[in-house]
Amino acid sequence: MFRAWFAAVLLLAGTLPAAAQTPREIIAAADRVRNPGQPFRTTNTLTEYVGGKQKDQDQIVVYAKEDPATHQFRNVVRYVEPPRDAGKIALLDGKSLWFYDPASKASVRISPQQRLIGQASIGDVLTVNFVVDYAGTLLGNETISDAERQKRDCWHLDMKAVSDTATYDRVEYWIEHDSFHPIKAKFYADSGRLMKILYYRGYQERLGALRPSEAVIIDAVDSTLVTTISFGDLRFQDVPETWFQRDTLPRLRAE
Amino acid sequence: MRAWFAFLPVMLAIQPVFAANEDTDLDLIPQAAQTAPVAAPAATPGQRNYLEDALSFSIPRQTLAVPFPPPQPASWEDRLFLDSRDEWRLGDGLTVTYSGRFNLRAENDIPFPSHETVRNELREAYVSWQPAAGLWLDLGRINVKSGVAAGYNPTDFFRTRAVVEPLTVDPGVLREDRLGTLMALGQYVWAGGSITAAFAPRVTLPTALYTNLNLPSFDPMLDRTNAADRMLLKASATVADGLSPELLLYHQGNQTEIGTNLTVGIGQSAIGYIEWAGGVQNGLIDEALRYGRQTGSIPTRAPAPLPFDADRMFRNDLSVGLSYTTATKITFNLEYHYHQAGLSPQDWNNWFTAASRLGRIPGVDAALWFIRAYAQDQQQPISRHTGFVRADWTNAFVTNLELTALASVDLQDGSGVAQATADYFLSRVWTVGGLASFTFGGRRSDFGSLPQSAGVLVRLVRYL
Repeated sequence: MFRAWFAAVLLLAGTLPAAAQTPREIIAAADRVRNPGQPFRTTNTLTEYVGGKQKDQDQIVVYAKEDPATHQFRNVVRYVEPPRDAGKIALLDGKSLWFYDPASKASVRISPQQRLIGQASIGDVLTVNFVVDYAGTLLGNETISDAERQKRDCWHLDMKAVSDTATYDRVEYWIEHDSFHPIKAKFYADSGRLMKILYYRGYQERLGALRPSEAVIIDAVDSTLVTTISFGDLRFQDVPETWFQRDTLPRLRAE
Repeated sequence: MRAWFAFLPVMLAIQPVFAANEDTDLDLIPQAAQTAPVAAPAATPGQRNYLEDALSFSIPRQTLAVPFPPPQPASWEDRLFLDSRDEWRLGDGLTVTYSGRFNLRAENDIPFPSHETVRNELREAYVSWQPAAGLWLDLGRINVKSGVAAGYNPTDFFRTRAVVEPLTVDPGVLREDRLGTLMALGQYVWAGGSITAAFAPRVTLPTALYTNLNLPSFDPMLDRTNAADRMLLKASATVADGLSPELLLYHQGNQTEIGTNLTVGIGQSAIGYIEWAGGVQNGLIDEALRYGRQTGSIPTRAPAPLPFDADRMFRNDLSVGLSYTTATKITFNLEYHYHQAGLSPQDWNNWFTAASRLGRIPGVDAALWFIRAYAQDQQQPISRHTGFVRADWTNAFVTNLELTALASVDLQDGSGVAQATADYFLSRVWTVGGLASFTFGGRRSDFGSLPQSAGVLVRLVRYL
């Protein structure tokens, strides 16, 4: 009898996560996988596919730095490609999102939903800590396939926006047990409509941790539209505080 | 043995769920996206150069309530231009910036080739020095832009006379091709705000308004931007998360204005904004007639063609609006503009009845139209109350198609101008586009009395 009981306990242990985590802890750990702990820059290449064929490509450089007070990232996004957009800059500083066009030398305040670059909203390309913008609830454990069709045991979380700067009203999030690797996310508008499906893939050793090197975004409204974001040239870089003032935007030079 | 089976339902209940339905999303990822994409060549940083040809046609209004003095607007124009924006780092915090447009143009009313065929616009040419973190000193011709609204910027004090020859009525596009002002500028930016001080000296005398027939070829047109001493002081500070108002103080000649800008985020899709400026100044009619007499456009001894408010008093300018982005990614801007110095309904009535009051005195029509041309040259609304709406839709219907529509309506008489623009990005370097505009309103209304009733333009752009 004891042996049966002991075998059952072992079987149970194999089906439970290694350690009990709160939803907030899980989301925060996944944020640390996606985002390095120091200021950094990354050159992101956004490739758009329409009906299965590569259509367009945009390239941006993102400079990100965490605000020590709010623990949310501030971002400066510089457009590099295509030539018609080169030199444009977007700035996220706390609750303010600004867009600067060197052609008009005008800085315009924009909302997170505003589309500025292909199929992606500006909020899709910014570096953010979900734990700051969303409150999560653990729905359960699920085994899903990642973008390479490998099975992953995941926490399935439901996250509700608690901040005005959150691009989406609600997010479903799948995070792998133990590794805390984000595997998949679904983004919903405040109307409840599913807007985007995102897969993280290409985990590589970068800046001291295994991090995704790519994201695949499927437009849930028109599923023929798919965007891949390659996170290239990821490196630590100090970002001066003055860069997060809109009056500095005309001064930012390409590096 | 029976104890083992007692545990079995519990173990089965807490097994992870195999979310087979979630995996069907993977089928939406195209095969082409499974491998590394074909990389595009990166644009040269610090440069934005393109070649554009724009062919436009104008449809005249058949009868006008007030005849338009010569020269008449061109019925067609073709303009080929090279637009350049470049910057060079010289080291030690020094940067040189150049921005300009070189035009070749042909019109029905300009001999080709002739002096009028070639025109170069020097928009910016300045040196910038950063002696310390957050501190910049600039010297040269600089385009200083202020304001947060889309349709009208009362606090954009350096906008006056700076737009040379517009191809569109879209205020956003007009800002892309305007002359900078010769000035010395200092700016200090810190984590919580910024302060800017600029001084633009008077280097020439005021000149008459230009027409499309007397634009200089290579003259930098400093008379447009530096015909008076101008000073600007502006400061912004973050007072709360998401709230950073800007205050401005501007002085030109014998006129001082103050202004402020403020924006606020409303949820994930909307931005509210307000822009205000005010100062002791003359009304538009008074100011225009003074300028006309000063520059010889209106005979000095000619009587005013219509009565006007001669009081020099505090007058306000206001632009308040909202931008909203829908779930389908269309961004709307809706604004109300108030220009206290502008024409009231009574002023408009006087404008239309001037000829019948004064008789057919030579020069009356020219003086009347000069008032309107002056307002346009100053980038001011001509009426006191204007409504503005703009919609912008990227990837409209098909990928790479951008549609923009706007309308500006004189709220005093319901007349207005509407314009629709379509741009299709053929590739990373080619763009083809077009626009169509028309004015509407009664014969004796603001926009309904303009000589141009409609216009179309097609353009082809090659980014270099």
